[in-house]
Amino acid sequence: MIADIGSITLVIAFLVAIYAVVAAIVGARRGDDRWVRSARNAIIIVFPLVVLACGLVITGLVTGDFSIAYVSQVSSRGMPTYLKVTALWGGQAGSLLFWNLLLSAFTAAAMLSKWRQQKELMPYVIIVLGLVQVFFLLVSSFVESPFVRNDIIPADGNGLNPLLRHPGMIIHPPMLYLGFVGLTIPYAFAMAALMSNQKSDNWIKTSRRWTLVAWLFLGLGLILGGRWAYDVLGWGGYWGWDPVENASLMPWLAATAFLHSVMIQEKMRMFKMWNMFLIVLTFLLVIAGTFIVRSGVISSVHSFAQSAIGPFFFGFMAIMFIFSLVLITLRRDILRTENQIVSYLSREAAFLYNNFLIMAILAVVFLFTYYPIFSELFTGEKGFVGPPVYERALAPLFAALVLLMGVAPLTMWYRTSIQRLGRASLWPAVGALVFVGVLFALGVRLWPALLGFWLVSFSVVLTVMEFVKGTRARMGKGENVWTAFTTLMARNRRRYGGYWIHMGVLIMAFGIVADGLYQTETQIRLNAGEGVQLGDFEMVFNSVSRFTGADDLLDHRGRR
Amino acid sequence: MADVTWQNTDESLVLEKPRRNRLMFAVGGAVLIAAVVFLVVNAMSGSTQLYKTVGEFYAEQSRLTGRDLRVAGWVIGDSIVYTQIDAHNSRLEFDIVDDLNNPTQKLHVVALNEPKPDLLQNEAQALVEGKADASGVFHSNPGGLMLKCPTRYEEMDPAGHPAGVPTL
Repeated sequence: MIADIGSITLVIAFLVAIYAVVAAIVGARRGDDRWVRSARNAIIIVFPLVVLACGLVITGLVTGDFSIAYVSQVSSRGMPTYLKVTALWGGQAGSLLFWNLLLSAFTAAAMLSKWRQQKELMPYVIIVLGLVQVFFLLVSSFVESPFVRNDIIPADGNGLNPLLRHPGMIIHPPMLYLGFVGLTIPYAFAMAALMSNQKSDNWIKTSRRWTLVAWLFLGLGLILGGRWAYDVLGWGGYWGWDPVENASLMPWLAATAFLHSVMIQEKMRMFKMWNMFLIVLTFLLVIAGTFIVRSGVISSVHSFAQSAIGPFFFGFMAIMFIFSLVLITLRRDILRTENQIVSYLSREAAFLYNNFLIMAILAVVFLFTYYPIFSELFTGEKGFVGPPVYERALAPLFAALVLLMGVAPLTMWYRTSIQRLGRASLWPAVGALVFVGVLFALGVRLWPALLGFWLVSFSVVLTVMEFVKGTRARMGKGENVWTAFTTLMARNRRRYGGYWIHMGVLIMAFGIVADGLYQTETQIRLNAGEGVQLGDFEMVFNSVSRFTGADDLLDHRGRR
Repeated sequence: MADVTWQNTDESLVLEKPRRNRLMFAVGGAVLIAAVVFLVVNAMSGSTQLYKTVGEFYAEQSRLTGRDLRVAGWVIGDSIVYTQIDAHNSRLEFDIVDDLNNPTQKLHVVALNEPKPDLLQNEAQALVEGKADASGVFHSNPGGLMLKCPTRYEEMDPAGHPAGVPTL
């Protein structure tokens, strides 16, 4: 019963999405507002339809309806309810349906906000978002349906993969998916701007805002994934340069580059082509990331079972790539830059260096992730690149990025004198040196660690100085410290919001330097009661206990 | 530095013509790209591993001996031997094959001081990082033994391609 209603719901959603695309095309061609509004209503209706389908899968999971193949694959009677619900994204078919859910939700949100302001763009936005939705609904309805029935109904299901039975399952995958799917919206607005041949940069404001939202979720997803890996996977750490981790890092990097360079387009009307390229690249990396997890093309701890969807995704990616490329080529006139960079030392040049570094990091990660494929293409042998290679290649690039993070805010648009930069960074540099001196006195002797700590603390001081200088300037106008500080941020949220993020990244960088250079690892066999001294810590192995019963959150005595 | 950096009162700077900017940035960009290429080549040299199946390993055994490899195969349950040498030293040995139904070529894997993983059982998929010595014994790197559970969570044909190996 559930399976039948679910299958029919998905097919209806698929047909409605196709109608939305067709109606939007007709509306755009004829300039007929009624068709466009009909297309909008149709694409919005996809959302409740997919909600219904998801609700049905969750009902099946929670009630243990093992006549549905997906339910018997990813859940079992003994699983706690929270895991049964999260099993919606615990397997291939369910997670694709989850993609559909988030995409339809984002699409509906994009339709319902700013409809009036972006009226000329909207039919084209519907076309692009509709096509993406049609593709994912096609896969969910006909290739990897979560509503396929079991021929023989099993007494119990296989249960969720043990690695996924973790509270992180509630929040990490949804965050990543929100980020991934959210990045479709800026792509749609960018393509819509090209299709409608708009000369104005209006689309970029919308795209920037959506990118910021998606970027935030993707970043949270990455960090939570690291936290989860630390608990669950035997990597001894939070990041293993696994292909699937890289697959979510790469679109995040591309989006980070875009969030920076978009400011040059807004301020200086430059880099239009480049920004367009970054948006397309981000979207393609999202699709490639979704594809790589599911195809078995590159082996990874995250891999789902191999399935038939590989060629579909590859085909879709190729179509979107060619579509974007042709569109950019046709509309290159409206993407001409209106200015030139005057000086090496300027705000816009600093953004350029930032983009260069981020793209270099992205390129290196891309090359290493897909190295098995490249090496087989060119040498006939499948090669593999391990984490130490990533670290050797990327460490200098990340170090340069940290330095830039501190220095770039000192630059001014158009041109900055070297004397000015020197004056502003002299004392912070000395301050960071004093800090490193203290670390040295406390026993830190590794020169890469000292260099790393100096770079990070230098940038921290420079970033803090930005807040201090801004606050003092306002206090000069008679405001008290608190008012000055809060008004400063409220008046320029973009700028100071960025600095807060920089501070967060710098704190992470501090930890990464320390962890990377001072990690101690050992493998040892212990009998009960024995201990091992590791660094400054002594770990004692007391006993092993074994519990039977439903898997759930248990304390060390086996209590729930 | 608060709001003032965003304005530039000196109009002459704005109106100044870009002089040979393209060339300047092209040369600078080329140097930076060369630096990145150097970083990549330097990081990769001598540090890449090759993916091989057991059959592929034996096809070119002499060339692949001593090279850093990742070999994937299926574990033969009867071959698993775990020896506790003394309090802190142990030796884990087992054979892997490409095809469980037709186990003609077996690769003998030795892992020193590794705990015996729960998942190491008959018909498990193993992915081992390490090097083969001249006698054909494959020595696992520390921590270089990875296992996937055979049939419990992923329905796959045991005679099929190990999931650790890409199929392109």
